Amino acid sequence: MTDRRGIETGVRAGVGLRSPHVEHVIASRPAVPWFEVHAENYMGGGPAVMRLDAIRRDYPVSVHGVGLSLGTDGDLDLRHLDRLRGLVERVEPALVSEHLSWSVAGGAYLNHLLPLPYTEETLAVVAERVARVQDVLGRRILVENPSSYLRFHRSAIPEAEFLAALSRITGCGLLCDVNNVFVSAWNLGFDASRYIDALPASSIGEIHLAGHAENDADGLIVLIDDHGSRVADPVWALYRQALRRFGPAPTLIEWDTDVPELGVLIAEAAIADRISTAGTDAGGRAA
Amino acid sequence: MAALRSLQGDFCEALLSGDSTRVAEEIAGDGLSPEARLRIYRHHVFTTLTAALGATYPVTCRLVDRRFFAYAADGYIRANPPAGPCLFEYGAAFPDFLAEFPACADQRFLPDVARLEWAMNAALHAEDAHPFNAERLAAVPPGDVPRLVFRFDPSVSLLASPWPVDQVWRAHQDAAMVEAPVDLGAAGALLEVRRLDGDVVMRRLHPAEHALRHALWRGGTLEAAARAAIDRDAAFDLASGLRDLLDERILVDFAVSK
Repeated sequence: MTDRRGIETGVRAGVGLRSPHVEHVIASRPAVPWFEVHAENYMGGGPAVMRLDAIRRDYPVSVHGVGLSLGTDGDLDLRHLDRLRGLVERVEPALVSEHLSWSVAGGAYLNHLLPLPYTEETLAVVAERVARVQDVLGRRILVENPSSYLRFHRSAIPEAEFLAALSRITGCGLLCDVNNVFVSAWNLGFDASRYIDALPASSIGEIHLAGHAENDADGLIVLIDDHGSRVADPVWALYRQALRRFGPAPTLIEWDTDVPELGVLIAEAAIADRISTAGTDAGGRAA
Repeated sequence: MAALRSLQGDFCEALLSGDSTRVAEEIAGDGLSPEARLRIYRHHVFTTLTAALGATYPVTCRLVDRRFFAYAADGYIRANPPAGPCLFEYGAAFPDFLAEFPACADQRFLPDVARLEWAMNAALHAEDAHPFNAERLAAVPPGDVPRLVFRFDPSVSLLASPWPVDQVWRAHQDAAMVEAPVDLGAAGALLEVRRLDGDVVMRRLHPAEHALRHALWRGGTLEAAARAAIDRDAAFDLASGLRDLLDERILVDFAVSK
C-alpha cells in the first residue's frame, strides 16, 4: 500500500520521539509503529542527526515543525525553510506538519505557538505562506489546530471554518489535535463536538493526542496544554467522535513535560489502537 | 491594512516587556482579564526559554543556584529574545550578558565558565564538515604559503581565560561532585573545544600552540599566526605545530589571501 517511508492509514498509533528515549529506541528497537520528531531538534549537525538517521532506518518517521510561524505577517525565514527542506530530504518522512499559529514578530522568536485573529487578512497571510512552504518542500503539509488561552475580538471566522478554508485554498491537509480542541473549547467556551463536525473530514491526515493540566487562574479553571500526563477521559471520548467523523487516521501520542519511560507512551498508544480497532463501541480508558 | 502585523508587534511587546496596554483591548476577557490570559502565554515563553538556557549552561546554573539563574535568564530573554526557532542556537550572548550583569560582579570567572559551556554546546550541534585533501595544500606555490588562510571545522572554539574554567567545569559534573574545591587562584586556561567522532572534547593547549591556532581560527594568515606563536615562545616548533593541525583533521578548507 505504501513504500518504506509510509505510515498506512490503518496503522497503529505512533509516539512522539523525545530525547530521553532516543538511546533506548536505537538500542532495543521497541515495537512502536512510527515516531514523530520535532524538526527544530535536528537542524544542526553531529550526534542528534546521526541518531535520527539510525531511527529512520528502522521506523517510519513524521516531521513536525514548531518554528515556521505560518501566521506571521512578514517575511518567511528562508534559512529556516531551507533547513526544513534539507531535513525532509534527508529523512523522507511520511508526513510533514506545522501549526496554525505564529511565533515571530520583528525578528524575535518567542518559542510558543501564539494565537491568531481569524480574519480574511490572516487567512490570506497563512495561505500564502502554506503555499510557499509546500512549493519549497515539493509536498503537501498538514496544519495543526492550536491550543488557545485567548481569542481576539476581531476574529470573525470560527477556527474550524478557517482551517477548512485554508485547506481548500492551499490543498494542505489538516492535523487534528483532539486534546487541543478540548483545551481550547474549555478555555474559550465553544462546543468541542461541533468543532470536530465542522472540520473537513477528507482533509484530516493525522490526529494528535496528549494530556493537559488544570490551572487556577484568578479563580477560573484554565486548561493548559502541557503534554505532561495521560490523555484525559473526555479527550478519549472526543477521539472516538473524531474517528467516527474522519475515518481512520494516523494517531500520535505526545508527551513533553515530565516525560515518563517510553512504556507509558506505548501504553497510551495501545489505548488509541483499541479505540480505533473497536470503532465506536470501545469503552473509554479500557486499560 | 497590516492590522495583523501591528497586532503581532504589540503582542510580542506585551510578552517580552509585560506592558500589555496596546494589545489588551484586542483580547476578549471571557471571564478573565486580558492581562491574565496574556500571562499564560508569557509564563510559557519565559519558563521554556529559561529551561533552554539552563540546558545549555548547566554548570553556570549550578554555580549561581537555580533561582538566581532564572532571574538572570529573565533579564537576558527580555533583552535578547531568540533570533531563530532552534533552541540549541539560543543563548550565544548570555556570557557577555553575565559579564555586564551587576548582580554577578563578585563572580568574575562566571562569564568565562559560560563561554566554555557555549563552546561545548556549539561544538555538539555544529554542522558536519570534512577535512580537505592534503594533496591540494601541497599544490600551493611556495610563494603563496605565507598568505594561506584556513577554515576550521565549525565545531572548533578556542578560548583563553585567566581562571581555570576547565577545572571548574569538571568539578561540577555529577560524578565529580566530591572532588576538592577548585583553586581559583591557579593558572588560567588556554582551551580548544571541538567535536570528535560525535563527542565534545576539551583540552588545554600550550601557549604558543594556542596562539598559532587562535590566530588562524580568527582568519589570520599563516605568516601572522606563525609570528604570534613565536612571539609567545621563541622555541616553539612551528613545523610540528602545523603538522598537528593537519593530522588532527581540524582544518576543512583553505585559500590564499590577497
